[in-house]
Amino acid sequence: MGEKTKPWRWQEDDLTVTRGSAWSGPGCHIGCGVLLFTDKDGKLVKVEGDPDNPFNQGRLCVRCLAVPNATNHPDRLKYPMKRVGARGENKWERITWDEAYDTIVKEFTKVKEQYGAESVIFCQGTGRDIAPYISRLAWSFGSPNWVPLGLTGNACYLPRVAGCIATTGSFWVADCSQASPLRYDNPDYKVPECMAVWGNNTVVSNADGFYGHWVVDLMKRGTKLIVIDPRLTWLASKAELWLQIRPGTDAALALGMLNVIINEELYDKDFVDKWCYGFDQLKERVQQYPVSEVSRITWIPEEKIIAAARLFANSKPATVQWGLALDMTQETLPASHAITALWSITGNIDVPGGMLPPPTLLFYGGGWGDELISDEQKAKRIGLSKYPLYQYGFVVAQPDEVANQLETGEPYPIKAAWIQTNNSLACMSADPKKTYAGLRKLDFVVGVDLFLTPTIVACADIVLPAATYPERDGLRFGDGPQRGEAINKVTQIGECKSDMQINLELGKRWNPEAYPWDNVQDMFTHMLKSKGVDYSFQELREVAPIYPPQEYKRHEKGTMRFDGEVGFNTPTRRIELFSTFYEQAGLDPLPYYKEPTESPLSTPDLYAEYPLVLTTGAKHWGMFHSEHRQIPHLRAIHPDPTLQIHPEAAAKFGVKAGDWVWVENSMGRAKRKVEITPIMDPRVVNADHAWWFPEAEAAEPTLFNLWDLAINQLVPFQPGKSGFGGNYKSLLCKIYKVAEEEV
Amino acid sequence: MKVFVIDVARCNGCYNCQIACKDEHVGNDWTPYAKPQPDTGQFWMKVNETVHGSVPKVKMSYVAMMCMHCENAPCMNNCQPDAIYRREDGLVVIDPEKCTGCMNCVDDCPYGVIYFNDDLMLAQKCTGCAHLLDKGWSVPRCVDACATDALRFGEEEEFKAEIAQAQVMFAEYGTSPRVYYLNLPKKFIAGTIFDPEIDEVLIGAEITCQNEKTGEVFKVKTDNFGDFWFKNLDVGDYSVWIEMGGYLTQTMEHISTIKDVNLGDIPVYKEVKVAA
Repeated sequence: MGEKTKPWRWQEDDLTVTRGSAWSGPGCHIGCGVLLFTDKDGKLVKVEGDPDNPFNQGRLCVRCLAVPNATNHPDRLKYPMKRVGARGENKWERITWDEAYDTIVKEFTKVKEQYGAESVIFCQGTGRDIAPYISRLAWSFGSPNWVPLGLTGNACYLPRVAGCIATTGSFWVADCSQASPLRYDNPDYKVPECMAVWGNNTVVSNADGFYGHWVVDLMKRGTKLIVIDPRLTWLASKAELWLQIRPGTDAALALGMLNVIINEELYDKDFVDKWCYGFDQLKERVQQYPVSEVSRITWIPEEKIIAAARLFANSKPATVQWGLALDMTQETLPASHAITALWSITGNIDVPGGMLPPPTLLFYGGGWGDELISDEQKAKRIGLSKYPLYQYGFVVAQPDEVANQLETGEPYPIKAAWIQTNNSLACMSADPKKTYAGLRKLDFVVGVDLFLTPTIVACADIVLPAATYPERDGLRFGDGPQRGEAINKVTQIGECKSDMQINLELGKRWNPEAYPWDNVQDMFTHMLKSKGVDYSFQELREVAPIYPPQEYKRHEKGTMRFDGEVGFNTPTRRIELFSTFYEQAGLDPLPYYKEPTESPLSTPDLYAEYPLVLTTGAKHWGMFHSEHRQIPHLRAIHPDPTLQIHPEAAAKFGVKAGDWVWVENSMGRAKRKVEITPIMDPRVVNADHAWWFPEAEAAEPTLFNLWDLAINQLVPFQPGKSGFGGNYKSLLCKIYKVAEEEV
Repeated sequence: MKVFVIDVARCNGCYNCQIACKDEHVGNDWTPYAKPQPDTGQFWMKVNETVHGSVPKVKMSYVAMMCMHCENAPCMNNCQPDAIYRREDGLVVIDPEKCTGCMNCVDDCPYGVIYFNDDLMLAQKCTGCAHLLDKGWSVPRCVDACATDALRFGEEEEFKAEIAQAQVMFAEYGTSPRVYYLNLPKKFIAGTIFDPEIDEVLIGAEITCQNEKTGEVFKVKTDNFGDFWFKNLDVGDYSVWIEMGGYLTQTMEHISTIKDVNLGDIPVYKEVKVAA
């Protein structure tokens, strides 16, 4: 591995093969090494995994195998358009890029002059590689309001990252030797004896820079799994222990495991002694979580909690591959804090096969170019006063407060929005009708995407066609350990442009000093050089992937901290089991568990009316959030939005497999097709998220059947105390059959 | 002669084979090997998910289904234009230029893997990507795209060891498939043993399971959760008895494994102590 057998581009029969990275458009959180095959007309005809790329070692998932179907899809947006009917009528007229840019600059500038730059919000979703570029666009315009539109409590990835950095000074990922180009052959690496797969179905979701098949690689090498999941996944059915957890109670489980590990003295006393701060306070706190109580809360049998705690603590090394379920609990920070404590006190920090601080080239979550915006403008970032934690190292606006401000215009009005890779109404927005009403009040909205989406049809005045990854050059930074990967353009569809090119060309018009580059390649070269990578973009594509050097036990060597001292990047230089940072921000400095806002235990009366626990958002193989519904081969794998329900519950509620049902709570309802399966607990149902039907009428009121299908109509804007976390995965609902005429 | 070996235990259901097949054959005319596969409706390679048992004794597996490239291929028997042929490497191919659309093969295939294309009036199925093999590929697209090595393809000789342990689909039809399956999910009987008087599971109880027809006997002990599993059982009727020191032996008979069986929580009772 690492020795490439061929250059970055070569000829194979009548096809041209180009090596590259698959990040992104369509959405993805990974960026596997790919080989793109184009014919003599420059048409993308096939994608294969790059066997020379250590990350995926030649493997791919179905979404990349089907990328030609997405890139070449007849329904792609192919040129800029402006709205000619009313919003929602889906009437558009083709315009030039120049006219589009001119109009956007004119309208945004009008808002800036009348209300201030902060009245234009810059909204992004997930999975398309734009964080550095959209943040620069917002800041170069003078707006501090870069936001994942509608994502209550920023409940995706950022809470875990934020929580880890706050308490340990770094983010941590499960070590599958992904930071080494030698991978499993790295002589320093040790295969973990045990991996807790916590709150994600790794092989399907491929989340956060973590390639799911690595878990299978480790299983083949002897790793035992503890799978914590409300559903019996394939991994769970192969696990040493499957803990079928009640959704939203992960913090309680972690605290119960800590209780066992601490009281049975199974922790790493030497590591705790040297490198942990606040162990005695943590020890006192976990006494509130005896296994019997934790079993009552989590619905997991006591003996399984004890067995999991012992297996994890006695495995050397042990690691945790955690997922979105942690972010999508309302009190997400204490949940992450508890899990961080689990791997810390067992001595699994920064050891081979334990938890790895991901080497970083560009911390893209922090945005790019904050020197472009004044302190005065920065202070106007939405949500800062209500959620002080957002001031410490975080640069996004608080989405719940953005939603409120869209509604009320207080403390200042929002007048325009730039929406890039964000089908908010169909996907991430909680209470999407609130977001819809807010956007519809705006004077001017721009949408940038691959296809027409419900969000664009309902709200946009100008729409710009974005490129998929085979249509663009780029750099792959992204989640997890970063590598220097080049994304190489091989084809052109219509007048589509990459998100980076669009932002460069638009930003140049309103702030040329912020964009001194002639083209995206020069911009990428600048980004590389400014991070100490001594390659131009053109040189990088020849040598990619490049790996930053990796070493273990950096805290002992003084390379974890920016000041070169030994220890971790926290005020105490230790892993803070008791967080000085949270204490300073007025939050509980120790991990704790809070029951979901609505639940069988917190609201028994409501539970009587809505007798099922509802969890949402689980991924399917062929779909990335709201995308891929128009790709026939992928849609065939999972053609309809489903509700998974246990056979006993199905019998109790009188529904059969294939029935269409309404899933309803006090906020709203959505249609789902019943899938009866024993993988569920009879008290819990699992609903697909992010559905719309591209094949349905686009114009309102149908709007691609959005309002029949959007499950987030049941999800409230309800963040945790810190402004992080939400209740996407732990709600209550009832179900009943859809009337014959409504199917 | 070529064979496919499909190890069900390794398959995590990623659907790569299904999509790679689509990518290779939809919109591509590989005549004389095959005409294009339609976008939807046909799956020359299809992943079927199976979930068996009942909570908490549940297993999940994925079984890839494709043309079995049978040695005694029923599809070849009634083909009116004699359009179906076996290549030297053993792959069975429907010649799209000879096929008249009589549909006999669609009806005759016991595996349901031959599809009818209404637009082209053709019977279509997996070709083993013979067009690629003839170009020098060592394996078909589906095998190439398999992320877990669950799908393999090669010379029969190379796979001797695997074939010795493998099963074929519907061996009773005598079709002699060239697609061999390892670790196909067989049936299980599982349960949990507990003492209702103390409301505790019993660890280390000896469980015996006997096939009532063949007399074959299996033994396991309950684990730390009082659970036991007898896996990889053939379909049949079984007796199960539970023995533990100090407890009354309990016997259950005529347990059918047409479906996987979770016997649930099974109470066992302490022996009666008779005063001396």
